[in-house]
Amino acid sequence: MSSKESCRIELRTAIRQLSDRCLYSASKWAAEQLVGIEQDPAKFTPSNTRFQRGSSSIRRRFRTNEITSTPPTGVAYVSTPVMEEDEAIHGDFYLLAKSYFDCREYRRAAHVLRDQTGKKSVFLRCYALYLAGEKRKEEEMIELEGPLGKSDAVNRELVSLERELATLCKNNTIDPFGLYLYGLVLKEKGNENLARKVLVESVNSYPWNWSAWSELQSLCTTVDILNGLNLSNHWMKEFFLASIYQELRMHNESLSKYENLQGMFTFSNYIQAQIAKARYSLREFEQVEVIFEDLLRNDPYRVEDMDTYSNVLYTKECFSALSYLAHRVIMTDKYRPESCCIIGNYYSLKGQHEKSVVYFRRALKLNKNYLSAWTLMGHEYVEMKNTPAAVDAYRRAVDINPRDYRAWYGLGQAYEMMGMPHYALHYFRKSVFFQPIDSRLWIAMAQCYESEQLHMLEEAIKCYKRAANCNDTEAIALHRLAILHRELDQPEEAAFYYKKDLERMEAEEREGPNIVEALMFLATHYKTQKKFEEAEVYCTRLLDYTGPERETAKSLLRGMRIAQSGFPSMDVEHFHP
Amino acid sequence: MAGVVKAPGAFAITPHKVSVCILVNIYASPSQISVPFPFSSVSQHNRLGLYLLALTKSCDDILEPKLDQLINQLREIGGLLDHLLTDHVTSRLSSLSSPDDLFNFFNELRETLGGPDSGVMEDDQVILDPNSNLGMFLRRCILAFNLLTFEGICHLLTNIGIYCKEAISSCSSYELRRVDDSGNDLESLSEYENMDLNLVFKKINEEMEARKRATEQVSFHLHLPKELSTLVEDIEVSADPKSEHNDKGRESSSYASGELLRDVDPNGGVFLRTNWQIQGYLMEQADAIEKHGSSFTLNAFELTLRQLQKLAPELHRVHICLRICFFSGLSFLLFSWLPNIILDGRSYLLEINHSDKFWQNSAGTEGFDFVPPAGCNSFGRYEIALLCLGMMHFHFGHPKKALEVLTEAVRVSQQHSNDTCLAYTLAAICNLLSEIGFSTTSGILGSPFSPMISVGTSLSVQQQLFVLLKGSLKRAESLKLKQLVAANHLAMAKFDLTLWFSAYPCVMFPIGVMKISLKMWQGTYILGSCKHVQRPLLSFGPKTSTKLRTCPIIVCKELRSGYHLISEFCCEGSTMTADGAFSTAWLKNLQKPMGSLVLSQDNGSRNNSNPFLFFTQPSSIPGSVMQLVGSSYLHRATAWEIYGSGPLARVNALAYATCFADASSSSDAALVHVKLIQHLAVFKGYKEAFAALKTAEEKFLCVSKSRILILKLQLLHERALHRGHLKLAQQVCDELGVLASSVTAVDMELKTEASLRHARTLLAAKQFSQAAAVAHSLFCMCYKFNLQVESATVLLLLGEIHMKSGNAVVGLPYALASLSYCQTFNLDLLRASATLTLAELWLSLGSNHAKTALTLLHGAFPMILGHGGLELCARAYITEAKCYLSDPSFSVPKVKTLVEGTGLLLLVRWYSSFSKSPELVLDPLRQAADELQALEHHELMAEAFYLMAIVFDKLGQPEQREEAASSFKNHVMSLDHPHDVEDPIQSDTLLNA
Repeated sequence: MSSKESCRIELRTAIRQLSDRCLYSASKWAAEQLVGIEQDPAKFTPSNTRFQRGSSSIRRRFRTNEITSTPPTGVAYVSTPVMEEDEAIHGDFYLLAKSYFDCREYRRAAHVLRDQTGKKSVFLRCYALYLAGEKRKEEEMIELEGPLGKSDAVNRELVSLERELATLCKNNTIDPFGLYLYGLVLKEKGNENLARKVLVESVNSYPWNWSAWSELQSLCTTVDILNGLNLSNHWMKEFFLASIYQELRMHNESLSKYENLQGMFTFSNYIQAQIAKARYSLREFEQVEVIFEDLLRNDPYRVEDMDTYSNVLYTKECFSALSYLAHRVIMTDKYRPESCCIIGNYYSLKGQHEKSVVYFRRALKLNKNYLSAWTLMGHEYVEMKNTPAAVDAYRRAVDINPRDYRAWYGLGQAYEMMGMPHYALHYFRKSVFFQPIDSRLWIAMAQCYESEQLHMLEEAIKCYKRAANCNDTEAIALHRLAILHRELDQPEEAAFYYKKDLERMEAEEREGPNIVEALMFLATHYKTQKKFEEAEVYCTRLLDYTGPERETAKSLLRGMRIAQSGFPSMDVEHFHP
Repeated sequence: MAGVVKAPGAFAITPHKVSVCILVNIYASPSQISVPFPFSSVSQHNRLGLYLLALTKSCDDILEPKLDQLINQLREIGGLLDHLLTDHVTSRLSSLSSPDDLFNFFNELRETLGGPDSGVMEDDQVILDPNSNLGMFLRRCILAFNLLTFEGICHLLTNIGIYCKEAISSCSSYELRRVDDSGNDLESLSEYENMDLNLVFKKINEEMEARKRATEQVSFHLHLPKELSTLVEDIEVSADPKSEHNDKGRESSSYASGELLRDVDPNGGVFLRTNWQIQGYLMEQADAIEKHGSSFTLNAFELTLRQLQKLAPELHRVHICLRICFFSGLSFLLFSWLPNIILDGRSYLLEINHSDKFWQNSAGTEGFDFVPPAGCNSFGRYEIALLCLGMMHFHFGHPKKALEVLTEAVRVSQQHSNDTCLAYTLAAICNLLSEIGFSTTSGILGSPFSPMISVGTSLSVQQQLFVLLKGSLKRAESLKLKQLVAANHLAMAKFDLTLWFSAYPCVMFPIGVMKISLKMWQGTYILGSCKHVQRPLLSFGPKTSTKLRTCPIIVCKELRSGYHLISEFCCEGSTMTADGAFSTAWLKNLQKPMGSLVLSQDNGSRNNSNPFLFFTQPSSIPGSVMQLVGSSYLHRATAWEIYGSGPLARVNALAYATCFADASSSSDAALVHVKLIQHLAVFKGYKEAFAALKTAEEKFLCVSKSRILILKLQLLHERALHRGHLKLAQQVCDELGVLASSVTAVDMELKTEASLRHARTLLAAKQFSQAAAVAHSLFCMCYKFNLQVESATVLLLLGEIHMKSGNAVVGLPYALASLSYCQTFNLDLLRASATLTLAELWLSLGSNHAKTALTLLHGAFPMILGHGGLELCARAYITEAKCYLSDPSFSVPKVKTLVEGTGLLLLVRWYSSFSKSPELVLDPLRQAADELQALEHHELMAEAFYLMAIVFDKLGQPEQREEAASSFKNHVMSLDHPHDVEDPIQSDTLLNA
């Protein structure tokens, strides 16, 4: 309990400090977490606990492990003292500068603070300059847009900022916020190692700045790097770890982290959305849908992460729900990349790929680095058989995030369409490397191996096996495996997979030619193996079906009976009507 | 919202269209039975189909109807099905809750359309032909929907919500029914609610009506269509439609829409109809303006324009006005209420020259009457704009400017070889020239027309005009512009009426073209002051070689060549307006209670004065065509008037008033009224004429300086003369003179008429020398300006003056000259009256000429009795009686009497043989007295009774003699003391004037 209270106190102070330094998204994040902490129902009136939705039955249902005990064991909290305010006499100028900053007049804000030496003022000045540079960069990007929307505009403030911040750092007159900015600048400059170091320093001394954590996360592309970080213990670290595990595709670890955190921040929408995303990556769509429905009920104007929800709806082909979601986000904020992406998804589901592309384009106009929009646009282009455009879109996606398996997969697909299976294979390999649990990827790869040009059936079989192990919902893998084994003249294996496939189809109550094929194979196989009983079972099952197989089954049965009774088969032929 | 800019003229999908689509879906649900489920009979099914067709075409408003209006109409057509239909529509609309529902709905719609490969469908299966009207509508809707962005779909969804909500709030029963379909008890509950509502509505309705009455009193003539008048009101009442079945329901709902318009918020569900429906609406407005002239209130129209501008900012206000001006075509409406347009016009032209969006968008794409020229460059519209501007200048009375602009238009359209525009422009110029006369314009005409008129300046202006007209006709024929062809034929007929002399170019005088008004000698009845008839220019004196073409047959021949128009108008692009108007009428008829036309209130002021109600069937012939055909009847009437046949002229005028009153412009309608009233005055007397005038005044009074006013003055003057109110007569006469010379120009016709009347007033006052002087100067003027008919009339008047002053010998040559004029110009009736005067002159020369007089008289009798008016007949009778009485061979005793007060010297001879057949004299006298009674012509009555008294005296019948004598006395007394008879009309005329 006390930790909850201390958390609250820490967050409250942090929010004030962050927004005082114009680090708005960090302060927004902190505020969300603050409200996410369960309130003491005795202390607060219902109006205060309005945001507390402990009553949600769904949430209870899907809360896997009831965590009531607060700190997860094994994490020793370093009680970081809340920073002392830098109470210099800078007040008035700072206020003016902050007002300018709030009005997005960054250079003006920086100018007001030109002679101020307080840490806070220095930070705000530098930050304002950085943002001014970013703004100019964005504008230049549009003005000097090269082919395919690429541009080499740079933030022109970076050099001077780096110089200044480096000196401050050297003189040890820099505060954690300054370090964060320094890290940011270093990252932009491409000096990743130093940037990591600086950012670690920043978050160690001031852990409540989520922006710093996010920057750090973007610099940790592998587990090794992550393990190499020297992070002091704080509950914020848990958030970081959960987030980075998700990024590094350690979904289960991430999920458990988040669920731990949920014990403390019971009502955090952020955590809920992250859990949903993690579960989405684990392809647990039903649960994700429930979580998002709950989330939308509590936070109806939320646009963040809703693209994931739309992906779920897309996969589940919920036309109406998807259109409803699209309508909703349009009404909330039309010009959010997420909104456009959702509409794009909707049109894609409707089969109107041109319109879909229009909306993905808009999403990308709004955010150049919107990864999923690039990928999805690539998918649309594939649908429209515009492979060059698709390849371009996918490449942009992997440029932004090289770990995006969907983009890699898309690239593979595109090359496969162009009849370049070796290239395709390469990209499929990349794709399965990043997402080994997705059967679709394995199947795609296997199909690539199977293709005329390669005809590497052994490899294909390997891939199909992986796919079959990965919860292949469409049950392609087993069937293909059986066929491949049959073709490779490995009847035992083939029979094994046919049997498996048959079992599976029976379990799912599926009908179709595959059943007949499997039955047929099994019947003949067992007959040749002289396992007449099994063969008979399959033959009689075949009799339920119409077509030539039925006749074959009849003659098989007859033949078997004759063989069993010892008559020569010649006579059967003879007596046949 | 910035992303969703409505493209101008786009076919936007709206809630109303969605509900129409739902209905179409019901109508053509893809089922296997010939009559789909909800319909019990084919006729029901067809009725819905008709209704839908009408919905997609009708153009009675710029706004689409609200859902409750739709529901009301559905109730009318649905019969037993109305619940099913309305429920289906409302429930379907309210089930559209997400964009995907809309998607699915439109996908479903696509299924109702038979595909191009649907050849294998069964006979009784209902599938919409994609090329049918409804099919096209559906396809357009589907296309429009498919073009929508996602945001657009979201907006549509929101709008549908608003659209439904409005309807639900206005008739709550639907909501209740929707909430629980099965609840019978709920239904009764809703009835209770309705009862309450009904009470409220009734009250509000009463209040509304009271208010309306009040407004009606203020602006004393409200001829504007209901939709517009309602816009002026500011009460929102949505009446329960069930309680108000007839027009009231409709009215109140349009109140609601009017109110909604007032504060159009961009998100509110206010939608314009489709482009061509709006065009149809504008055309209807143009028709209405033309029909009702200046009684069409500016404010109401202004309001509509403002709304239109707000809702469709892509339509410039001046555009719309120009448009309306153009739509109203070549019949030239009165635009006096939009004077500021002219100011805008110039600057606008510059604008149009550059941007010219409007014409391209509207004229090119959707059923414009105009055949778009081949290379439709930006200039292609410039000349049209010029044409419109020129026409407007003309309406506002700047003929010179108008001519300049039109000349420019000719130049531009020649330059761009836009023949269509050229033909129209030429027709416009012809019209302009023939209306204003062009002594001043000959200079302007010269240069630009030289390519067309190769003879150039050697031709007279009249001939140039004729050539222009011919050119226009030729072009119109080659371009197959039927309306223009017909209009040109009409113009040619006018030319024939104007006594066009092809053989006499050299004798033309380059002076104003005047209008004739055929006046009868002495009777002074103006049979026709017809604007359509222009006076030709002719040197004085009939020439032997002149070819006269006033014969009505020729005119009719020319007219008939324009008639094929009616049968062929449907080939033209303007069918859609006809359809639209037809559909509108159809929909409006829905609102009327079935059967009882008597009870319907809506055809109030307009149809009251029109005694013929059989034209209530909505016609599918467009108004402009009707108008053209109608004016051909007017031409015929005029032709017959000139020829002198009153009855035939009347028949034509009546035909016009009966069949074309709905389509006619206000000026034409006024003209026909004038004609009919004049006819009444001449043939039935003043009482009926004034009664008719009163109704006519109610209709047309607001037109200042109208024909009606002139007619009133004319009638007043004549009656005053007859009654002997000489002072009043002079006063009225002066007023006429004032009207003649207005600010803009001198109306020669009116001027001559005024001075003619002046002369006659003087004559009645026995100031012979002055009367003669006035008549003489008048004749000089008529001679100078080649007003032939007037010359004949004045000559006749001079003869009469001389006769009355006792100088019969001097009068004789005047009468003869007049006679020769009449002979030359085929003016039969005038000739008859000249003959009568001649007979009178002969008679007054002495009793020995009585036989000559009688022969002359008998020669003229067929014409006089057949076509003459009351006074003419009476005069003829009296003269005949006098002839008998003065014939020396007729009777022995010779009596010479001076009738006191009249100054008439009368010689009566009494012959013995007379006593044998007194009826020979008494009969005509009695008849004359009877006829004069209606005219209140005291002077002639006195004479008739005097003669009767004498005859009775001689016959030795003292009682009858006394009776006649007392009548004589009465008439003489009332002639001397004219003010005994009060007269309501004259007082208010003087006040008005």
